[in-house]
Amino acid sequence: MSRNLVEIIRRHHELGAPTALEVLKDAVADHGEITDDDRRRAAARSGLPEAAVHGVSTFYDDLLAPRGERHISVCTGTACFAATADAHVAELRDGLGCELGERSADGSVSLAETVCLGYCHSSPAVREGDIVDAGPGAVRRVLGGAAAPAREPPPRSALDGPALLAIGHDWAGLSRAIATLTPDELLEQVKDAEVRGRGGAGFPAGSKWEFARNAEGERKFIVANGDEGDPGSYIDKLLMEERPELLLEGMALAGYAVGADHGFVLTRSEYPRSKPALEWAVVVARRAGLLGPSVLGSEFAFDVTIVEGAGSYVVGEETALLACLQGLRGTVSARPPFPAQRGLHGLPTVVNNVETLCNIPLVAREGAEHYAQLSPGPTSGTKLVCFNERFERPGVYEVSFATPVRELCQELAGGLRDGHTIKALQIGGPLGGILPASLLDTPFDFDDLAAVGCMLGHGGIVAFDETTDMRALATHLLHFGATESCGKCFPCRIGLRRAHEMFAADGDVDRERVEALLETLELGSLCAHGSGVPAPIRSLLEHFPDELGVA
Amino acid sequence: MRVEIDGTDVEVQDGTTVLQAVRAAGGDVPTLCFDERQEPFGACRVCMVGVRGAPGPMPACTTPCRDGMRVDTADETARRIAAATVELVLSELPEAPAENTELAVIARDLGVDGERLRWPGARHERPDDLRHPYLALRQEWCISCGRCVRACDEVQGAFALTATGRGFASNIAAGMDQGFRESTCVSCGACADTCPTGAITEISLLGMIER
Amino acid sequence: MTQDVTTTCGYCGVGCRLEAHATDGRVVSISPALDGPANKGHTCLKGRFAHQFSRHRERLSTPLIRADGGDLRPASWDEAIALIVSELTRIRDADGPDAIAGLASSRATNEDCYVMQRMMRAAIGTHNIDNCSRVCHSPTSWALRKSLGLSGATGSFDDIEAADAAILIGANPTEAHPVAGARIKQATLRGCQLVTIDPRRIELADYGVLHLAPRPGTNAALVLGLAHVVARDGLTDEAFLAQRTEGYAQTRALLEDYTPVDVQRISGVPAADLERAAHIYAQAAEASVMWGLGVTEHRYGSEVVRLICNLALMCGKVGRPGSALLPLRGQNNVQGSSDMGALPDTFTGYQSVGDEDVARRFEQRWGVTMKRERGLKIPEMFDAAVAGDLKAMFIFGEDVAQTDPDTTHVIEALEALEFLVVQDIFENETTRYADVVLPASSFLEKGGTFTNAERRIQLVAPAIDPPGDARTDFEILTTISAALGHDMGFASPADAMDEIAALTPDWAGVSHERIGRRGLQWPVAADGTDSPILYAETFALPGGRAQLAALPYKPPGSEVCAEFGVILVTGRRLEHYNAGTMTRRTANLDLVGAEWLEIHPDDAARLWIEDGALVSVRSAHGRIELHARVTTRIEPGHVFTAFHFPEVRTNLLIGPSADVNTSCPEYKVVAVDVRPVSEEPRRTPAIAAAG
Repeated sequence: MSRNLVEIIRRHHELGAPTALEVLKDAVADHGEITDDDRRRAAARSGLPEAAVHGVSTFYDDLLAPRGERHISVCTGTACFAATADAHVAELRDGLGCELGERSADGSVSLAETVCLGYCHSSPAVREGDIVDAGPGAVRRVLGGAAAPAREPPPRSALDGPALLAIGHDWAGLSRAIATLTPDELLEQVKDAEVRGRGGAGFPAGSKWEFARNAEGERKFIVANGDEGDPGSYIDKLLMEERPELLLEGMALAGYAVGADHGFVLTRSEYPRSKPALEWAVVVARRAGLLGPSVLGSEFAFDVTIVEGAGSYVVGEETALLACLQGLRGTVSARPPFPAQRGLHGLPTVVNNVETLCNIPLVAREGAEHYAQLSPGPTSGTKLVCFNERFERPGVYEVSFATPVRELCQELAGGLRDGHTIKALQIGGPLGGILPASLLDTPFDFDDLAAVGCMLGHGGIVAFDETTDMRALATHLLHFGATESCGKCFPCRIGLRRAHEMFAADGDVDRERVEALLETLELGSLCAHGSGVPAPIRSLLEHFPDELGVA
Repeated sequence: MRVEIDGTDVEVQDGTTVLQAVRAAGGDVPTLCFDERQEPFGACRVCMVGVRGAPGPMPACTTPCRDGMRVDTADETARRIAAATVELVLSELPEAPAENTELAVIARDLGVDGERLRWPGARHERPDDLRHPYLALRQEWCISCGRCVRACDEVQGAFALTATGRGFASNIAAGMDQGFRESTCVSCGACADTCPTGAITEISLLGMIER
Repeated sequence: MTQDVTTTCGYCGVGCRLEAHATDGRVVSISPALDGPANKGHTCLKGRFAHQFSRHRERLSTPLIRADGGDLRPASWDEAIALIVSELTRIRDADGPDAIAGLASSRATNEDCYVMQRMMRAAIGTHNIDNCSRVCHSPTSWALRKSLGLSGATGSFDDIEAADAAILIGANPTEAHPVAGARIKQATLRGCQLVTIDPRRIELADYGVLHLAPRPGTNAALVLGLAHVVARDGLTDEAFLAQRTEGYAQTRALLEDYTPVDVQRISGVPAADLERAAHIYAQAAEASVMWGLGVTEHRYGSEVVRLICNLALMCGKVGRPGSALLPLRGQNNVQGSSDMGALPDTFTGYQSVGDEDVARRFEQRWGVTMKRERGLKIPEMFDAAVAGDLKAMFIFGEDVAQTDPDTTHVIEALEALEFLVVQDIFENETTRYADVVLPASSFLEKGGTFTNAERRIQLVAPAIDPPGDARTDFEILTTISAALGHDMGFASPADAMDEIAALTPDWAGVSHERIGRRGLQWPVAADGTDSPILYAETFALPGGRAQLAALPYKPPGSEVCAEFGVILVTGRRLEHYNAGTMTRRTANLDLVGAEWLEIHPDDAARLWIEDGALVSVRSAHGRIELHARVTTRIEPGHVFTAFHFPEVRTNLLIGPSADVNTSCPEYKVVAVDVRPVSEEPRRTPAIAAAG
């Protein structure tokens, strides 16, 4: 990230200026597109140079797609692909008479692609305005102008005793910490609990907090990564929209331990309800003295600002996320420096996934030992997982680590509907390996899944049934990878494009060339996006060689 | 602290990067997005080296030295990744880069031949912008290394350039894609000076490049 | 055939080191040298791109002599030199050597200037030699010598990065010293607390922490006010004042009259801002002051520089990395031309012509005798010409008819002369009056050295030959000197530098060989040790102590009145350089093709001026016309323009008001009348704007 631009942004932030991204989003909301006048205004108000503002306006999906009177987004995520092989996209396109990413000539309607709306339990999903319709009749209803909000299944737990989903709305974890623990003691407790990041990387939260605590800076920040862009995953959506106060409590606890006085949540624009839900929870918390200049009457001050993104998957990467929060292009920065040393506005910042932070109140209430016992095996605490529409009982479930995947799929989610059989699963997101049906007995845990070329990731489980064409799946995943590449590093920017071109073309794909490309991506990429996309492709090559057409 | 570069020990200060240590030891590693006048960027992945104990090749320009680190600049995997990356870069250009450009020199060093059709696929297609009296902007030659944007940011401080687009569509633009003259450009030429492909270059040199 | 040389830029006082690439006798491109000490691999559009003037078709390539009919006609060198010799000899014999004066070029090399002043002193026999620092930083030179001892910046540009805070007063470096301006900008983004002081809101004001916009001509009050706050709030470095300075007591007493409220009344700067600025400077661990012609080109500019020295001395902020006094010298060799003694009162190294030991040393070396009284400064030369006392001038590389103030008076002077020689690279406003024009060489065509604003002597190397029959200035001047009977015996500029080193204690260790790629910052000891930082231990004055001066504020030479209700400030723009003789002959003209007047919206409304309208600007001395641009970057009550275009002869407006100690013209304050010039008659009456 440009040190100079971050400094310019910091200075303007202190004067209460909006970010350039905020001004540009307002322009789209106001008149459906961005003009040069809008860019100039964004530059003048935010302090960001005009050229940089132009760069921002060409990066985010929400700013690029022109909007008609009716603006419709169709989900092209992996769960929706698994449900219809993207037939719903063609149906909608033909029905509206509008291409993806375009606005009709008379301005009455526009159609955009989006990944993902978080309604993977009821794919396919289509959004109009702030209504998300999903299910077999969704396209028909949208074409008829009668989109209806889809039902969202309630979460369930596979555990008995108190765990994440059972925590009360009483902020008891925070009150206990402030009353009985020093910040250092709380930090030690979180370290002892070995809370691993739930967003995908699995990095120990306690270590990250410690780096930030020890770093020099006149202020520090806690940032909650709510950019759950993984197709097939709607876990953080549930937490932000149904249990926002749990996230806020977790952030306040992090702030207390680290010495931060402010937190930010980055929500997704694809989840229109997340920001309002969180903002309301902030208002309620302030009124109750749980956030503000004197938390629970103590000397600890902590408050939270909610910021909505603008349509980019890669801003789920922590440095790209910080760029987006500041209104810059969401590109990835080389590390070091790590955000814990130099993050938001150049100051020490902890970036944690939403689910990770939601685990903290549990640790603060019940202690590290209890937390560790929630799962057998090496990983502490519990995991929220979610299933796609192919399953009998899709939804979010709280489970123990090390549960065999087969148990999750058959007993919890009831196996696949309508007599379909599991051909393979993708766990953890689009960068997760593909688990063939033959490996369903693998325990659901970090190392066990890694050993078979898969990952636990964010915990989304997408099943492909016997009708799924694996070459089409490979092409779908590469399209996603290439589209969402931030464009900074060369292997990912060019390599993913070339990989997609190879698989999208007719005929066989050259094996040697693919292997070389996958290696370049895995070993050469700047971040986990470029280095992760090869994983599912490798699994497909290993487990479904005939279907892929690689020679 | 002490690090070992290709078998030679070098004393370095805290905060030194592997690339700096390699050069201090008298060696070198090819780079494409690096310019000593700017902060390291880490985009090109051409400066890959082998580091004993690391899970894979490491980018020398953004990897800090640690005491006792052992670096191998001729590491086979590292060189292979670097060469493959340069090959990918060549595939997005309209034709082989002129001989005297940094990119062409790196390609030769890495043994990447100019056999252009190894990677068929899309290229960037944009017209040249010759509106400025001195500076030519030829976006088809841009490899999004970011050096021009950073020169304008970190050296001159005019902030007239930006990266645009995302993924493969990435490129650079002056101002709000208005060209140099309408932007905050002060015509210092730092961008042309650092560009490794001639995407930004002096108009007076265009004829020479084509030669 | 290609030729690549590393040389030093000939535009401004930053002194960028450049790599010039020439093919077949033409410069094809120039790039910045990565190891340039001042520029570190960067440069600006002038150094980098504006070199096409060197082969412009209008380059003088042959001597010219004015025929009786009035036009200049080509002549041979022999003819031209013979005429010069015969005329100068005749005038010297008839009216004495002091009837002849010379003006050396601050764009030329140290060696060029050295041989010119030697020619005037030894071949002709007069101390009537001056250079254009007279009209820009001569106040700085005078004041620094009085307050600290040496006539140069106390540090280097590296002090910018080492400073925790800085004051930038009367300068706009992002336009006039772009590479230094860029370094300052980057430093502010890294945390240097910059206070900008300028009637205009310069670009760096957007990056600094505080901007003060005093009324033009009130700098002295402002600086006294800063010092007042420092003393009042106990921020002085008492130990430093006691051990290393003299004169604080009188200064302290004077400061009583400059409370923030007093200063606000005089300058318009809010009292709270003044206090904050003083605190920022005084409380920083290391802080520097940088200034430009907005300080010096005033009636009391030299006093303001002394007051700036007072401020730094009171805070003990001199002589350490990050705590420096940095005058931003304008021309590429304005420092050097003065260092070389192209001045009426000093030899090289500011050694006085009246000092017996010094004078004898030079007399011995040159084999001549010289007077002990000083010669004429440039304004005095013009006055003497008009009075009939000065009969001949040799003007080298300065377009006085465009760049000097009170153009009408200058032209009168030039016309009054019996004989005028002009040595330059293009015909210009001044050659209109010349009897002989000699085709000179540009910085790309000669060898020698320049001294930049850091006192850094750097090498200049030719990339191409002078065009046609033009010769290097060094060759021209030494040839003429020999023809006048004084052969200096220098085979090359390097020889001249050896003599300079032999005669100048502060340059003792300087030689072309030693200068290398890094340059040398004088004073240079005999063993070659140079001086990046001055005054770390002692000041260059008797007793080793710096001298504070109690100098009260006095109003400028020009103030608004009923007839002339607005103050005009003049300055520079990024794309052009001074008279524009070089840059207007490059594609820079494409970027900026005309001059304009900046005016505040309130004034524009009051005076019925629309954005883009043609206006006339009239002072007691002249009138010009140009187009207006309305901007909020300046304060109401004053207007701003530059002087790069002869079609808009800005300096016609500037009168004789000048610095009391150095005669530096008051370019920065002149009362004018501004009004629209209708290009078409208005058919409908215009309604006055509300409020």
